[in-house]
Amino acid sequence: MFDYFLEGFGMALRLDTFGMMALGLFGGMLVGALPGFTTLMAMAILLPISFFLDPIVGIPFLLGIYKGGIFGGSIPAILVSMPGTGAAVATSRDGYALTKKGKSRKALDMALFSSVFGDTMSDIFTILMIFPIALLVMQFGPPELFAVLLLSLVIIAATSGSNPLKALIMMLLGLWLSFVGTDPLGGVERFTFGIFDLKSGIPLLPMLIGVFAIPEVASVVMKNERTKQLASVLGERLSFKEFKASFRTICRSTVIGTGIGIIPGLGQVVAAMMGYSAAKNASSHPETFGEGELEGVAAAEAANNAVNGPTMVPLLTLGIPGDNVTAILLGAFVAQGLRPGPQLFEEQGATVFAILVAMVFANLMFLVIGYLSIPIFSRLVTIKVSILIPLVIMFAFAGAFVFRSDSVDLLMLVGFGIFGIVAKAAKFDVMPMVMGFILGPPMEYAFGQTVAMTNGEAVNFFLTERLGAMLVLIAAPVIGYLLWRRMQTVTVGGH
Amino acid sequence: MKKSGLQKTPEAFFTLFCVGLAGLSLAFIGSLVAAPKLLFGRSLTAIPPSMFPMIVLGLLLVLSLALLVLHFRNPPEIDDGPNGLEGWRRGAVFFGIMTLYALTMVPLGFLISSAITTALLSWMIGNRVIWQIAILSLVAPILLYLAATRLLAVSLPELNAIELFVARFFNG
Repeated sequence: MFDYFLEGFGMALRLDTFGMMALGLFGGMLVGALPGFTTLMAMAILLPISFFLDPIVGIPFLLGIYKGGIFGGSIPAILVSMPGTGAAVATSRDGYALTKKGKSRKALDMALFSSVFGDTMSDIFTILMIFPIALLVMQFGPPELFAVLLLSLVIIAATSGSNPLKALIMMLLGLWLSFVGTDPLGGVERFTFGIFDLKSGIPLLPMLIGVFAIPEVASVVMKNERTKQLASVLGERLSFKEFKASFRTICRSTVIGTGIGIIPGLGQVVAAMMGYSAAKNASSHPETFGEGELEGVAAAEAANNAVNGPTMVPLLTLGIPGDNVTAILLGAFVAQGLRPGPQLFEEQGATVFAILVAMVFANLMFLVIGYLSIPIFSRLVTIKVSILIPLVIMFAFAGAFVFRSDSVDLLMLVGFGIFGIVAKAAKFDVMPMVMGFILGPPMEYAFGQTVAMTNGEAVNFFLTERLGAMLVLIAAPVIGYLLWRRMQTVTVGGH
Repeated sequence: MKKSGLQKTPEAFFTLFCVGLAGLSLAFIGSLVAAPKLLFGRSLTAIPPSMFPMIVLGLLLVLSLALLVLHFRNPPEIDDGPNGLEGWRRGAVFFGIMTLYALTMVPLGFLISSAITTALLSWMIGNRVIWQIAILSLVAPILLYLAATRLLAVSLPELNAIELFVARFFNG
């Protein structure tokens, strides 16, 4: 293995590799920063370009877009509360609050530094542990996956706001919305009400933009804030002291993200939410989270970027993409003649390590490119409200349309926007709903597979074969209750 | 001053909506969820397609009712929120313009619908500088259209005449 690593390290040190990675990083940031446009879209469009490049050049190029896009998605999340990806949802909570306080530069700097740190540490971890981790992941089954997903939802509900009952209701509402379309096990129609356009389900992007960005924009319009800018000026840069104060949180989130990244199907969204929830729970002042807490931005960004490296583990060892983005990477690998699986390390071990090493170098380049590029993207915040809002709406609608080229998505965008503003007025947090929606299908799929595996003898099955999963399932409500009690003792008043 | 009973607040209405949604969905689950696919009389899946939704909707109904009970026992202060009725009226106009945008983007094309919408929104928010509105509604959609179609190679809905003109302009 060490021989492969050394050979791969030498292979990664190429000028064209670094050049294409830099291009990918900047392009990913640009696309991610455009409200309504996604990294996934950019990667899908640019995937054919990678076919004409050497694997050591083409795949790092796509990885550059991936990494740049994740941070890029945080830029509109922080500046205008419009997360470009599900992973940026947690970032937008404190990021946008910081922007409203005139500290958008600090938020963006923190997002960048914690992203780079989390990503770099997890990439190094991946290089060191990919072989033994592959052996462990092969043991994971549907019961374990279901247990972890349930635990994630419970933790998020328990730590989301001061009223867990409302959070649970929203989470269940999100799960219900995920049922619309076809069921993941049998492919039969559910809750389509006979409407053809609902057969493929509710798309994620219009929902994200609708419930997070549109209500914020609508609030400004409803309050008739003509002279107040939607986002305030840049403010001071992040100080070393501020970064150091969040370092422990960043390390914790890196560990969480790394652990989540290894498990297929969970991905950046779960990592970001769990990292954020863990930071809020561990904080001595959790009531400040959601009100403009730098640690909140650091926790979410470190966690969601720490997924990048380990998510390559199930992809490379089993050929299982952890999310849509890694599914595109799988396509790139296959097109390059690198068929992921256990044999990949024996046949193309050096190439695999070259790609992983290139990922580490990409982070270092990311730090420089990102730091220099922030002022370019941050120009958005200096525009008048009466100019910015129409631009944001135009971007949002364009982005929602290009997602599936379906005009029904635009109506869904408006519908979720109305829902979001009503939920805001009713003091219901929409984040648990979005989480329930995203995790619903894999959860139901794992649930169905688990039931099939029990063969009618669930208790015996879990006690003898899936003890770990059973313990997690039992622990989930207990952990949720304990976390809720913790939140209650530190929350003053509350709703 | 707090009154007893169920107050007409957005929270109460939203919770009632959840109760209604869950209750009606459970009542008509047979019509809302298709029957499982069978092969030689046996289901192809271990669980019926309605099982998970029934669990979720059942929990949603119970928790929503619990919240209603809590709301009834401890009614919050009646509060229209910072928006007031005038704010809700502006919100209705705002969403009306967005609905118009959604309905006109395909038939009128991205450029024309965006020009109309951005102009309306800018005016509604309070911009009265005509040249700013004109530039915003004419230039911004064109720039975004070109960036999307030329740089990112994604398609935005557009009238045939305009698409033909753009293609001829760039391809000669």
